[in-house]
Amino acid sequence: MLVPSIDRNQRWWPAVAALVVGTAALGASLLVPQLFSDPNGVDPYVARLSATALVLAGATFLVRPLAPARPVLLALFAVTGSFTLLSAGPQILFDLFGTRSGSGDEQVLLASTAQVLVTAGVAWLVWRSVPPELRPAFRLTRLGVRGAVVTVAGTAALLLGALALPASWLGRDGVEPVAVLRDLAWLGPAYAMQAFSQELQFRGLLMGGLERVMGPGWGNLGQAAFFGLTHLAVNYQGPVAPFVPVTIAIGLVLGYVVQRTNSLWPAIVIHAAADIAITFAVLPGLYGF
Amino acid sequence: MNLRRTVALSAITAFAVAALTPAGASAAAPWWVPMRLQGTALVAVVASGKTLVVRTASGMTLRSTDSGATFDRVPGNPDVRPPASVRSGNDAWVIATGRVLHATGSGPLRLDPGSPDLGSRARLIAAPAAAPGVVVAVAVDGTVWRRGQDGGWGRGLLLLPAGFPNGVPAITSLTAFTQPLSVTVYLGTDGYSVLASPDGGDDWIRAGPGLPESIRGLASDPTTRTVYAATSDGLWAHRLQALPAPAVYHDAALVWRWVGIVLVTLAVAVVAVLALRRAMRPAVAQKRA
Repeated sequence: MLVPSIDRNQRWWPAVAALVVGTAALGASLLVPQLFSDPNGVDPYVARLSATALVLAGATFLVRPLAPARPVLLALFAVTGSFTLLSAGPQILFDLFGTRSGSGDEQVLLASTAQVLVTAGVAWLVWRSVPPELRPAFRLTRLGVRGAVVTVAGTAALLLGALALPASWLGRDGVEPVAVLRDLAWLGPAYAMQAFSQELQFRGLLMGGLERVMGPGWGNLGQAAFFGLTHLAVNYQGPVAPFVPVTIAIGLVLGYVVQRTNSLWPAIVIHAAADIAITFAVLPGLYGF
Repeated sequence: MNLRRTVALSAITAFAVAALTPAGASAAAPWWVPMRLQGTALVAVVASGKTLVVRTASGMTLRSTDSGATFDRVPGNPDVRPPASVRSGNDAWVIATGRVLHATGSGPLRLDPGSPDLGSRARLIAAPAAAPGVVVAVAVDGTVWRRGQDGGWGRGLLLLPAGFPNGVPAITSLTAFTQPLSVTVYLGTDGYSVLASPDGGDDWIRAGPGLPESIRGLASDPTTRTVYAATSDGLWAHRLQALPAPAVYHDAALVWRWVGIVLVTLAVAVVAVLALRRAMRPAVAQKRA
């Protein structure tokens, strides 16, 4: 009986292998320490994920056979490394400058700016170090009428849908006007920058890189799966874990929007609207969101 | 090859067993604890030391003089209605004709400058003694107003609809400790359980884990450091405790936990690079089973 094995000469093989091995490695470095330690207390900024991703991405420059995996592994590092910088940024600023680092909101804004810079830096590195036939399409230079319409309609659909769903599903119990007036000027731009970074990471770098070697549907599925699993690492542990499939679905929709409009901007705006709405209309629980 | 597969399978199995085996852990005390009268819908509660008085939805008034261990019927079933006033520390705050009046010590009640018009039927008011000058009051339209220590009033919370086709849940109760134990203000709702503000009404969190969604009365007692909730499922109690937070490690415990995390991260990264290198080898021939 013949048992066909995987043909590694396929163009998509290096990207798929990189995504699968990379995701498994990140999952192991996230979860294995929980067997013997309390990594959430010791490493709350998941620096271990960034270190793992950095080693993998760096290996593509040092180990020649791994070069075809570079676009995907650099995308993974963009996700993890920039997140560690974003979450640790306020503490780093306070440690360096004390009260001169500003309020908590100002620190978040600065950390979000750093996240954009790191993501842009990785995107530039991908552009410079990856052969043209493997370079991801970032889709940042156009919007178009279709993109504008999808942006407005998608944002409206998101907000209306969130209001229609039972509040207990989302925790969107109320709006805090005093807090909004206090925080919006700082956190609005901060979350917009975070949305830009995440869209460039997932739908720009990762999906763009996968699309170069496989069909758009598979590329979208790959980035959406990683998008959902990434939220498991930083938000969805414990009782909120069932949100992972929801987040994968959201990733699929955003990826589809990017592909159909050929622009990253609708996804950026919709993502920013979602993050801002969550911040100002979803009340956190005792253990976070 | 069979030996390598066997070793790999054994390692994966051992890891899976270790990961799935529940690790011993000490949990914090439950945030809310059920007391007596489970299965009985309650609509009000007042507390003073060991004496608790509750009102059932069927119109019965019950009293306990042993901190809720037993309840006896109160002859005549007098109505139980918390007053539209609170004495907190050296201050007295009263809602009269829809406005908030303030008195210091034994002085006369005066209209608090900037007090919003809460509506003539407004009754809910709370003032944490740990934050003199901070007041939270609920208007008849459901707006939660908060007074800062600078005397300025602002809208602290606006509840959102529970979802199509439900409306906005009613706010039924409000309480805070009248001795300087905590700045937290607790808000009871008929649909969103208990919400709490740890900063005098600016920011709110969902603080009702385990509680029914319908809360009809709240009462706090500083002598027992307890908040009582009259719910659709009996009487519940929250013993004052710190908000959940990640554990903080010091000295050797911190060092060894970091050593473990670093070793795992390095091992995972090296294994992943080796796995990827193997995966990137050229085509594998078909095998016969």
